[in-house]
Order: sequence, then structure tokens, then C-alpha cells
Amino acid sequence: MRPVLAMIKKEFLQVKRTREMLALLFMFPLIQMLVLGYAITTEVKHVRLIIVDLDNSRISRELVRAFQHTDRFDVQARDILLTHIGEYLQGWKAQMALVIPRDFGRLLRRGLQPDVQLIVDGVDGNTAGVALGYARGILQQTATQLSPAGHPVSYRPTAPRLHLQERMWYNLNLDSAQFMIPGIVVVLLTIIPMMLTAMSLVREREIGTLEQLLVTPMGKLQLLAGKLIPFLILSFAELVLVMKVAQWIFRVQMHGSYPLLGAIAFIYLFTTLGLGIFISTFTQTQQQAMFVAWFFMVFMILMSGFFIPIPNMPELLQTLTYLNPMRYMMFVIRDIFQKGSSWVYLLPDIGALTGFGLLIFLASILKFSKRIG
Amino acid sequence: MMASGENTLPIIEIQQLKKRFGTITALDGIDLHIYPGEIFGLIGPDGAGKTTLIRILCTLLLPDAGRVQLLQHDVVHDVQSIRRFLGYMPQRFSLYPDLTVEQNLNFFADLFQVPPSIRQQRIQQLYHFSRLEPFKNRPTRALSGGMKQKLALSCAMIHTPKILILDEPTTGVDPLSRQEFWHILHQIREGGTTVLVSTPYMEEADQCDRVGLMYRGKLIVVDTPQRVRQRFPYPLYRVWGQDTYALREFFQNLETVHSVHLFGDALHVAFTQPPVPSDWKHWQLTSHQQIIRWQPIEASVEDVFLEMMEAHS
Repeated sequence: MRPVLAMIKKEFLQVKRTREMLALLFMFPLIQMLVLGYAITTEVKHVRLIIVDLDNSRISRELVRAFQHTDRFDVQARDILLTHIGEYLQGWKAQMALVIPRDFGRLLRRGLQPDVQLIVDGVDGNTAGVALGYARGILQQTATQLSPAGHPVSYRPTAPRLHLQERMWYNLNLDSAQFMIPGIVVVLLTIIPMMLTAMSLVREREIGTLEQLLVTPMGKLQLLAGKLIPFLILSFAELVLVMKVAQWIFRVQMHGSYPLLGAIAFIYLFTTLGLGIFISTFTQTQQQAMFVAWFFMVFMILMSGFFIPIPNMPELLQTLTYLNPMRYMMFVIRDIFQKGSSWVYLLPDIGALTGFGLLIFLASILKFSKRIG
Repeated sequence: MMASGENTLPIIEIQQLKKRFGTITALDGIDLHIYPGEIFGLIGPDGAGKTTLIRILCTLLLPDAGRVQLLQHDVVHDVQSIRRFLGYMPQRFSLYPDLTVEQNLNFFADLFQVPPSIRQQRIQQLYHFSRLEPFKNRPTRALSGGMKQKLALSCAMIHTPKILILDEPTTGVDPLSRQEFWHILHQIREGGTTVLVSTPYMEEADQCDRVGLMYRGKLIVVDTPQRVRQRFPYPLYRVWGQDTYALREFFQNLETVHSVHLFGDALHVAFTQPPVPSDWKHWQLTSHQQIIRWQPIEASVEDVFLEMMEAHS
């Protein structure tokens, strides 16, 4: 036990002494969270809109007002020539154009189904889709209010008379921070332990101290324990720090149990610490280790559903995500944060995480022992 | 101080040791006994197999064949017990640059499980001969090369090992620090530790009690420096000239010359039969007054080694 304690003490001394390490540990996650927390948002606001109102009746003006009174749309220009719409879209001056044809108000007043036209810049497909959805909602609502005797207006004349009641559960305001920030927590629990472990093991090799350590009576497992325990502790400190900031700045709500979160983070750390050991077994310098860790990280993040929803992926890639431990962690952590799920519902994912953790960790230890033995 | 082989048990025993890396034979049947209390110098050019031999002794590498024992402990089976009485300073001596002198010492004291009761005393002893105490709070990266090397040695000695193995400790160190380093090694030997040290510098052979010349994976001579020197069978002269390189060519072409080697600013010329003064007169003429001075000398260890290496290649 004493050699392990000696290693732990030494690691903390070194972390304290190395300024880059401290920066990596504390500045990097905070900056990342601030930037990503504000930048990554799936909400679409202030869509640049132009309106061509050929009808210019009371009702059509009412419709235009409805588009002006929401922060989803910014009306850039009104009453331009129909032929200028292309120019606006081409020049990025507008993302959407609404054309209200002549006789719109008259037809609506008679209880008929007048046409309106929406032209959307589809380059950014996601934004276009969301904006189109908002526009539909406004059109539907306004038309219903304005048509005589509350005739429901729909796009299809035969549409059944349905009244849709929408209720968002768990994330009532569709606040994207509630979804993204727990994801960032997972990203940090991946990057920090993996990088720190890989870099610090490779560093011992780079400066030659590994050979010195290997001739001491300390065993290889003690050596690894002495290396990993400090990073385990630091990762948890990191987790607490990031969660505090998330709750304080982004008002992220944690609905689940903290002990469960801690336990799952502990399980997940076997995967990421293990990957760090693994990287250190085939890299010679800290630079190489950093590069390989970066490579791992990009794939894990892309295939985890952090930015790109997994159901949007091609089927083959969807299947491949099952090989990515981060995928399970992403799901579990978001569930705990937003839904407050109990472990019972998360059992299959926790099982997968445990399996991956043990597999990666044990294989890495074996490879490490072989490499230096 | 030096033990004679006949009535003492060897502290390091190597029998028919072989090691290959792919198609390269690094060690080709090494037999060597090292006795308690001696400084044994392993001398040889780069690539001779010195580091491979040392890494096997330090349990960092497994032998392919043969038997290696340190204090009757086998390097293959008794790894843990060997590490307790072995001190090792690798070729690239390695310390934590961001830790201070004292933190490095304490760290290795912890790893070697030096009891706290004697630790302070041991560190004081090590400070005494390394003279590093005034710098104990300095980060290691801020030490000079010589000081780093002494600290590395202190870390390897922290647990008072019975055997100390050093792999080319003086390579790349300035001459003054090298001298001081050998002085410390002698002090360590006085303290009862057996020292095995490798070096590419043949002139350091005389600092050792016994030396072994390694060449192409074999030990070609093992003896005291004195007796090694006596093995040189030819009359040897040190010759100074105007143009040493031209002079070397001149001697190489003489019938009675066995070998010519460059030693600093002069030549060592070995003859198959002792030259007489008239020979020198004659050579001065035929070499166009190239020869400035000549002097019969006793062979150095290096002369013997160069001779033996040539005989082996």
C-alpha cells in the first residue's frame, strides 16, 4: 500500500507543479461548457422573413402582424416584387418568404380554403424544417381565429376536426441547455480522464522515469493504481465543479439521484481511464498520445448522440454506435438529469457500461503489463 | 578491498547467457562472476551488448538462455526480492523535473520502503557525498547536468542496495563531474556496495577493480586493469608528429609495425620487433622529418582492447 500512496502523493505534487495540467483540468472544462452551453442550441429564432402581401386586406394584414409579433421571425421587408424573392434568398437577406395571394381574405371570410405560399431556403435543412414548423403553427392559429364562426382551417379540405393539445414533459420550455449541458458533463468525463492518464503514463516513459519505477519493488498493478487513483479523484472533483457551474449559470435542473449519478460516473471512468492506459501502450510521446486521444474523442462524441441524434444516422452507423460506450453514458446521464429516472429503467445501459468498462480496463492493464514487462 | 575469485562466493553469477532480438544476437554466451565489494567495469563500444546485459541483470529483460543470479536469486524467478537489494541507474537517468531534489529522494525512499526511522539519516548521508543539500528545495529541472546525475545516483542508492548497477553514467558529463562521480563510486564501494558500471570510455577502466571488455555480444577479456595491460605483447611507442594522419599512414606501411592507433594528438605504434635508435633515424629521413618525438610507453587498457577487438573482427 505504501508505494501506491507514494505514487498518489507524487502525482498530486506534479499536477500542482504543472501549470498546463492545471489549465487542462480546470479552465478547459469551464470554458468548454460556457462556449458550448451557449452556442449549441437546437432552438431556431429570428428567422429572416420577407412578406409579399398581394391581398392587402384586413385579414391579410392581421396575418402579417402575427408574424411580426413573434421573436421566431424577423420581418426584413414587405411588399416587394414577387420577382425579387429569389434575389433576397440568394443574397442571404432572407431565409423564408411568405406570399399571400390576392383574394386571400375574401376566400377565408367565405369559409373556403385559400392558398398561401412559403418559400424556404433549404441549405440548412434543420433550421428550414424548424422554421417551417413555426410558420405552419402561426398560419394555422391565425387562420382559425380569422375564419368565420371558428371554421378550422387546414391544408387539406378533408382534414378531420382535431384539436391538438401539446404538453412537453420533462423539459417544459424546450430549453436546449437542459439537454446539452448533461451531454457536456459526459464529454468531460471522457476527455479529462483519458487525456490525463495517457499523457501522464507516456510522460513517465518520455522522461525515462518509467524504467526507474520498474526496478523498484513496486508491482505493475501498484504502479497503475498509483497513477489512476489521483485521476479518479480529480475526475470527480471536475464533475462536481462542472455540475455546480451548470446549475448556477445555465439553471440546469438535476431531477435524479446524486448517488446514482456518482455510481454511474465511477463505472464509466473505468472505460475512460482504461482507454487512457491503452493509448499510452502504443504511443511514445505526449504529443502522439494527445493526438490519438483526440482521434478517439472525436469519434466517440460524434457517435454518441451528443450533437447528432442517433436515429438520424444511416442504419449502419446506428448499429456501430452500440460499440461506443459514450453512447450509453450520454443516454443515461441525460435521463438522470432530465427525467430523474431510477436505476431500474437504466439497467440495460448500466449493464452495457459495466461490460465495456471491465473489458476495456482489463484489456488495457494486460496490454500495459505486457508492454513494459 | 578487492576480493579474489577463489575463496569468495560471487555476488553476481552469469552462465552461458544468451539474448537475441530478431536476427540480431545481442548476447552470445556470456560467462561472468562478480565478487562482493568490487567495482566491475563493463567496457565496450556502442552496440556491444552492455545495455542488454545490464537490463537482464536488473530484471527488465528476460534472457533467452543461460542462468543469471544475483545474491543467489534468479533474475527470472526472484524478481521481487532482487529489486529490494538492487540499485539501478539507467543510461538516461531519469528524475521528475518538476519535483524538488528532496521530493525526488523522498519519493524513491517511499517506493523502496525505507523505514521512516532511518530515512532522514540516509538522506543526510547521501547529501554528504553528493553535496546537494543546499539545493534540496530546487526543482530538479533547474539543476546542472552533473548535479542531476548525482541526484539520480542518490535516488538509486536511497535503499542502501547491496548491488549498484549503472549504465554509462558518465556519458555526456563534463570531465570534472566525471572525476567527482568516480570518487563517489569509490566511496560507495567503501560502504560495502558492489558496483557494476558500464562505460564507453576506455580510460575509465583504471578506476575499476576489474574490467570486462564486451565486443559483439561476447566478453573477450575479464581481468584487473593491471593484468589487462600486461597482456600487450608488443613493444609500444608514443609518437608525435607534424601531421598525425600522414604519419599514421607512414607507419602503417612499415614492415615491422604491428598496429598504429590515434591517441589524442599522438600515435601509439606497436612493433613486431623492438626498434633500435638507428631505425628512428632512418624513419625520420624517409618520412621527411615528420616525426617530432617518440617515447616507449607501457600499454594502456585501451591499447589492449583495441588489439583484442581487431583480433576478434
